[in-house]
Amino acid sequence: MSSMTRLAARRFMRHRMALASGVLLILMALAAGVAPLVEGLLGVDGNEVDLLARFGAAGPGHPLGTDELGRDVLVRLLFGGQVSLIVALITAFAAAVIGAAIGLVAGYYGGWVDALLMRLTDGVIALPLLPLLIILAAVDMSKIPFLAGLDDSAASSLYRIVLIITLVGWTTVARLVRGAALSLRTREYVLAARSMGASGLRIMTIHILPNVMSPIIVATTLSVGNIILFESVLSFLGLGIQPPIASWGNMLNNAQELIYEAPALAFYPGMAIFLTVIAFNFLGDGLQDALDPKATEYDKGNA
Amino acid sequence: MARYIAGRLVETVVALLIMSFLIYGLIGLMPGDPIDIMVQADPNLTTADAARLKALYGLDKPLMERYVNWLEAALQGDFGYSRVHNAPVLEVLLPRLGNSLLLMGLSFIFALLIALPIGVYSAIRPYGARDYAINFVALAGISIPVFWFALMLIYLFAVEWSLLPASGMRSIGTADTGMEGLLDRAKYLVLPVLALSAASVGGFTRFVRASTMETMRHDYIRTARAKGLSERRVVLKHGLRNAMIPVVTIIALSFGSLFSGALITETMFSYLGMGKLIYDSILGNDYNLALVGLLFATLLTLIANLAADICYAWLDPRISYGGESGS
Amino acid sequence: MTALLEAHGLSKHFAIRGAGLFARQIATLRAVDEVSLTIEAGRCLALVGESGCGKTSLARCLALLHRPSAGSISFDGEVVYDDKLNNYKAIRRDIQMVFQDPYGALNPRMTVAAIIAEPLNIHSVGDRGERAARVVELMESVGLSPALADRYPHEFSGGQRQRIGIARALALRPRLIIADEPVSALDVSVQSQVLNLMLDLQDAMGLSYLFISHDLAVVEHMADVVAVMYLGRIVEQAPRDELFASPSHPYSQALLRSIPRPGGGKRARGAALGGEVPSPLDPPAGCPFHPRCPRAADICREARPLLEPVAGDQDHLAACHFKGET
Repeated sequence: MSSMTRLAARRFMRHRMALASGVLLILMALAAGVAPLVEGLLGVDGNEVDLLARFGAAGPGHPLGTDELGRDVLVRLLFGGQVSLIVALITAFAAAVIGAAIGLVAGYYGGWVDALLMRLTDGVIALPLLPLLIILAAVDMSKIPFLAGLDDSAASSLYRIVLIITLVGWTTVARLVRGAALSLRTREYVLAARSMGASGLRIMTIHILPNVMSPIIVATTLSVGNIILFESVLSFLGLGIQPPIASWGNMLNNAQELIYEAPALAFYPGMAIFLTVIAFNFLGDGLQDALDPKATEYDKGNA
Repeated sequence: MARYIAGRLVETVVALLIMSFLIYGLIGLMPGDPIDIMVQADPNLTTADAARLKALYGLDKPLMERYVNWLEAALQGDFGYSRVHNAPVLEVLLPRLGNSLLLMGLSFIFALLIALPIGVYSAIRPYGARDYAINFVALAGISIPVFWFALMLIYLFAVEWSLLPASGMRSIGTADTGMEGLLDRAKYLVLPVLALSAASVGGFTRFVRASTMETMRHDYIRTARAKGLSERRVVLKHGLRNAMIPVVTIIALSFGSLFSGALITETMFSYLGMGKLIYDSILGNDYNLALVGLLFATLLTLIANLAADICYAWLDPRISYGGESGS
Repeated sequence: MTALLEAHGLSKHFAIRGAGLFARQIATLRAVDEVSLTIEAGRCLALVGESGCGKTSLARCLALLHRPSAGSISFDGEVVYDDKLNNYKAIRRDIQMVFQDPYGALNPRMTVAAIIAEPLNIHSVGDRGERAARVVELMESVGLSPALADRYPHEFSGGQRQRIGIARALALRPRLIIADEPVSALDVSVQSQVLNLMLDLQDAMGLSYLFISHDLAVVEHMADVVAVMYLGRIVEQAPRDELFASPSHPYSQALLRSIPRPGGGKRARGAALGGEVPSPLDPPAGCPFHPRCPRAADICREARPLLEPVAGDQDHLAACHFKGET
C-alpha cells in the first residue's frame, strides 16, 4: 500500500497551488492555535471592551487596530479562526460520516432502498439552502422536546450551527459513495465475501468503504470551504455563532454600517474567510488529482 | 419519453407537498406564535383573551389538522395575510418575485457570457499558464463570501469612488419609464449583479472547462481532425455541441445556489426582491409570508430541476428510449 | 456415486426495466432456463458453453449469490432451497467459489493473510493463533510461501493471485468448489500449474468441483462429467470420454470440431457453425439452437426438446429431437 501512497504523494507535490494551500492552512491553524499566546504577548484581552479605544489605528499593542468596541482586531481574528476552523472541520466530518453511511446503504442494497434514499438526497440537493438554514437557525429550540437543552447561549450556538449545517451538508458525499458502492458491489471480491456468508454490514465496512476512501477524502476537503461560507453567512446575519464568541462571520456583523468609518474592520475577517476557503478548494483539487486521477471532473448536479 | 416526463411531474408534485408539510412544521417551531406577539404588543389582552383568539384562529389544533386547513385554503388560492405588510401574501410576494428573477436572470446571463468563452478557451489550451490563471480566478469566484464581496464592492464603488449607489432599486424622483428610468434602474443593478455572479462565473467556468475537455478526448474529435478540418471547426462544430449537453443541465441545477446567493445580495443592497422578503419575514415573525415565500422558492427550484431532467433526457437518447440492461 | 449437489428445474430470469420510477418491465432475460443437474461427491462436473450461455449465472445461483427465480437445490440429499425454503446458511461452509478474474477477486486493500483468513473470521473459527496457523497451512497447500502473507494482492502475479483465491476457498474445508473460469485469465503456461494444483487438491481433500469453462482443452484435462450449455439450457451431458468421442447434440459436435488439433487441416475440422448466438432476451421458439443447426427440421421450430437419455444410456443425456443419430 505504501507504494500507492507514495505515488499519490508525488502527484500531489506537482500541484504547486495545492501544496501552497496546504502550507497556508497549516500556518493558519497554528496561528489560530496560538491565539492565547498572542493575547498574552500583546498584553490585551480579546474580549475586553474599551470604549475609549474604539477604532484605534494599527500600531504597537494593536497590530491590526481595534474594533468598534475597542477590542483588539488581531486577537479576535485569531480566536475567530479557531472557532470557524474547528466548527467547519467537525461539521465536515459529521456530514461525511452521515453521507457515507447513507451512500453505502443505498449503493450496496440497491433496489427500492436506493431509490428512496436517492430521492431523499436529490430532494435535499434541490433545495435553496440558505433560506432553509435561516429557518433552521431561527427555530425556537424549546419547542423541540429533545433539543430543549440547547438554549440561546453563545456556547449552544456552536452546537446548533454544527447540527443544522450537517443536516443539509451530507448530500455530496452520499451521492459519491452511492455511485462507488453501486459499481463496487459487482466486483468479484464482494461476491466472494457474499458467497462466504459475510453480512451486509461487514461487506460495506470492510470491502466497500476502504475502497471508496479516496473520493470521500476529496469530497470532504472540498466541502469544508462551503461549510465555512455557510457558517460565516449565518453568523453575519446574526443567526450563527453568537457573540461574545468570535467567528469570522460575526466579526462582520456590523461591518455594513461601519463601512464608512472603518472599512478595515470589514476587510480582515472577510479576507481570512476568503483565503481559507480558496485554500481548501485548491487543496481538494490537488488531492483529487493525486488520489483519483481518472475521475471525470463532473457529474450531474455538481457545479 | 412521455412516460418519463409524467413520472417526473408526479414526483415533483409529491416533493412539493412533502416540502410544504416540512416547512409548515418548521415555521411552527419559530419562536412565539402570532397571538403571543399580539399579547406582547397589547398589555390589555388577558390570558383568557389570548386563549379565545387562539381558538378563533385555530391555533390550538394539532399540527396535521392545521396543515390540512392551510393546504385546503392554499389550493383555492388563499395564501393568507401578511402581518407586517397588511396585505394578502400573494399581493406582496409576486412583484418581489419579479425583481428577484430580474436580478438572478441578469446575473446568470452575465456569468454565462463570461464563463462559456473562457471555459472553452481554457479547455483548448489546457495546463498552460493562462489555464492556471483562469482556474485560479474561477476558484476565487466560488470561494469568496458573497456578502463580503458585496461589502467590498460597496466600499469601492459607493464609498470611495462614489460611482454607484450602495443600496436601493431606483432613485427618488426619477421617471419610472423610458430611457431615463431604465438607465436609473440599471445603475442600481450593477453592483448586485456583479456580487451575485461571482460564484456562478467561477462554477460555470470550471464546469465548462471540464465538460469541453472531456468531450475533446473522445474519438470522434480525433476523426474530425483526421478529416483535415481546421482546429476551429473541430471545436466549434463537433466538440461544443456535445459538451454543452451536461452544461445545459448543470445550469438548471444551479438555480438553488443562485437563489441562496440572491437572498444575501438583496439583503446587502436593500434590493426589494423575494430573498430579502423571505429573510425579513422570518426574522419579523411574519409567518404566513415566510411560509409561502419559501414554498415559492422551493417550487421554482423543483421546476428548474424538472426542466433540467427533461432537457437531459431529451438530449441523451439513451435515457429517453428506456432500457438499461439487466442486473 | 452419491449425489452431493442437485439442482432441479433451476431458472433465473432478469427483468429489464425502462428508466424512471414508474417504468414498466420491457423484457425478460432468461439467463438460466430450467436446468437440472447433479454433481457427485469427489467428481468434477464441467460446464461448457460460449459467453452469454448462462453458465456464470447458473454457478452464482448454485452458490446462492443470485436468488433463483424457480426451481430447487438439494445438498447431501436434503432440500436447501426452493420457493418456500431458504436454508443456505447451513451449507455456506460446504460450498465455496473461485472466481475468474485474479485482479478483481481479491480486495486490493487487504493483506493476503486477511483475505485468506476472512472466511474463518466470518464464521468465527478458532482463535487468532489458530487462524494464523491455518493461513500458513493453506498457503503452503497451494504452493505459496507463508512469508508473503503480509503482502498485498497487487504485488503478486495472476497465477499467484489465483492460488490465493483457491486458498481462501479452501479455508472452511468445503466439500464443493464452484470454479468459474478459474484459469481463463491466465497465461497458458501458468494455466496447467493451477489446474494441476486443483487436481492434486481434489485428491488430497476429496473435493468436488463444478468447473466452468469455455475452453474444451482445459475441460478435457479436468472433467469427469461434462455438461454443455446453450442459451441458458443444458443441451447435453455425458461422461468426459463419451462426450469427446461421440457427442450427440449438434451444438456439442460443432464445439468439439472447433478445437484446434495438431496435424489436421481445414478439412479435418468440418463445417463451422454459422450465425451468431441469439440474444437471451428473445430466444427462438422450440429448440433454441434450431436457427443455426444444420439438421433443423420443422419439429425443431415448434417443440422444445427435453434432456433425455441417448440410446438408453442414463449417463449420457441430450436435448435434441435427433439425438442418437450420427
